[in-house]
Amino acid sequence: MIDPMLKVEGLSHRFPGSEDLVLDDVSLEVPNGGFVSLIGPSGCGKTTLLRIVAGLLEPGGAGQVYVEGKLLLKPSPEKAMIFQHFNLLPWRTALANAAYGLELQRVPKAERRERALAKLKMVGLEAFVDHYPWQLSGGMQQRVGIARALAVEPKVLLMDEPFGSLDALTREYLQTELQKLCEETRVTVLFVTHSIDEAIYLSDRVYVMGTHPGRILEEIVVPLRRPRWTYNARGQREFGQLRDVLWGYLHHELAAHVEAGSEPIGYQE
Amino acid sequence: MSPRWIRLASIVVVLIAWEVVGRLNPLFTSYPTAIARAAVDLVQDGRLQPALLTTIQGLGAGYFLAIGIGVPLGFAMARIRTLNIALDPYVAALYATPRITLIPLLVLMVGIGFQLRLVIVVLSAVFPVIINVRDGALEVDRNYIDVATSFAASRWQVLRTVVLPGSVPYLFVALRIGAQRAIIGVIVAEMTSALAGTGILLLDLAQFFRTDAVMVIILIIGFFSILVTAGLRWIQLRVSPWLRSTSEGER
Repeated sequence: MIDPMLKVEGLSHRFPGSEDLVLDDVSLEVPNGGFVSLIGPSGCGKTTLLRIVAGLLEPGGAGQVYVEGKLLLKPSPEKAMIFQHFNLLPWRTALANAAYGLELQRVPKAERRERALAKLKMVGLEAFVDHYPWQLSGGMQQRVGIARALAVEPKVLLMDEPFGSLDALTREYLQTELQKLCEETRVTVLFVTHSIDEAIYLSDRVYVMGTHPGRILEEIVVPLRRPRWTYNARGQREFGQLRDVLWGYLHHELAAHVEAGSEPIGYQE
Repeated sequence: MSPRWIRLASIVVVLIAWEVVGRLNPLFTSYPTAIARAAVDLVQDGRLQPALLTTIQGLGAGYFLAIGIGVPLGFAMARIRTLNIALDPYVAALYATPRITLIPLLVLMVGIGFQLRLVIVVLSAVFPVIINVRDGALEVDRNYIDVATSFAASRWQVLRTVVLPGSVPYLFVALRIGAQRAIIGVIVAEMTSALAGTGILLLDLAQFFRTDAVMVIILIIGFFSILVTAGLRWIQLRVSPWLRSTSEGER
């Protein structure tokens, strides 16, 4: 049997000094070239899960992360993270930001310039290479963020609500762009979101997460054919049905918590 | 009226008022024309230049030494927890103690020459530099460190590519406060203990009721401080072009 590109096994997490179980025995798999989303209400630990996979956080409890069957809890060039707030370094131009990962890997200057430039072209920013982040719109900044991650040619892209702070139009535009990029680069993606539409539109498979403790409630396959930007995928009957199914799970999860009298959990589409 | 003309008019009005009021009792504030004359006299009789040179030498050497010690130590304390815990009490205590109280002891240790200036300037400037550099380095946005960490950056790479550039604004605050403290330190040291220099010249002139000449010295020190601050600001914008947006209120 071929190992999945990314595999998370039995991951449990508590923050140091806290009794609260943030993640409870979470397991998931992303096949090579696959696009898998994690969806759940705020506070379900999906970002924590992604940070552990990226190696930014040590699991406070049990669990393992495998890339191509190889144990890999530390940060590594095989995994690249894309952040919700872009996190471009303000003192670097778009090009220097895109080349940042390569620079840390000590790729020679000429080569990293060339590779970063190619990725900036891919995201349509070749005219903005010398701009500083403050001179770019949010959508453009995130495109630099994507170029920065792709430049190191990772096997797995970890995306933490990457379009969550963008306006609706930019968001839809970048969702399509991202699909094209994934098609082109054959990269494997683990995508965290709290937008039901975004999860369905982008993913082969969606894991629904519940809160307190953060755990996987359900795994749903998206049957829509690819590429999805060539037809009105959002208008398909299956899309609407999946939307209802996912909303059902999340709604139930939210209602359960309100009844239990715990802090109301924000859920935003 | 444009801001430039308003400012110019304001200066003219103040100078004229000073000239008129100052003549009522020249001992208190003197007045602009007398001060100008005193400046020419001080230069012509050759008292000003050697005094300024002596002060600048001690100030410059001490300031650069303070930066050379304070900046690396500040960054080291920010990045190495053990070092910070071990050194913080001394740095905080010495920062809080008015360094000029140490002058009598320093005179015993190093005498009253160049070394006294050097030591008092270093002691005056180094602690604000250490504290501001350290606090600035600790303030650097965690999110940027996450980016570096996600690419498996080493500790040294995090320092070089995130912490150093991220703390540039604080670094220049440190250099500015350090410069101000250094100037105070050297003038006070000269006024209390040194046999030469600008500080003792100031005191001498005051003892002979030469208010006009005293004002010359005060103005020189004032302009010098302004020049240093403006120079540091200029360097800051040169080394950190990305901060131009903030100075224009973009963020």
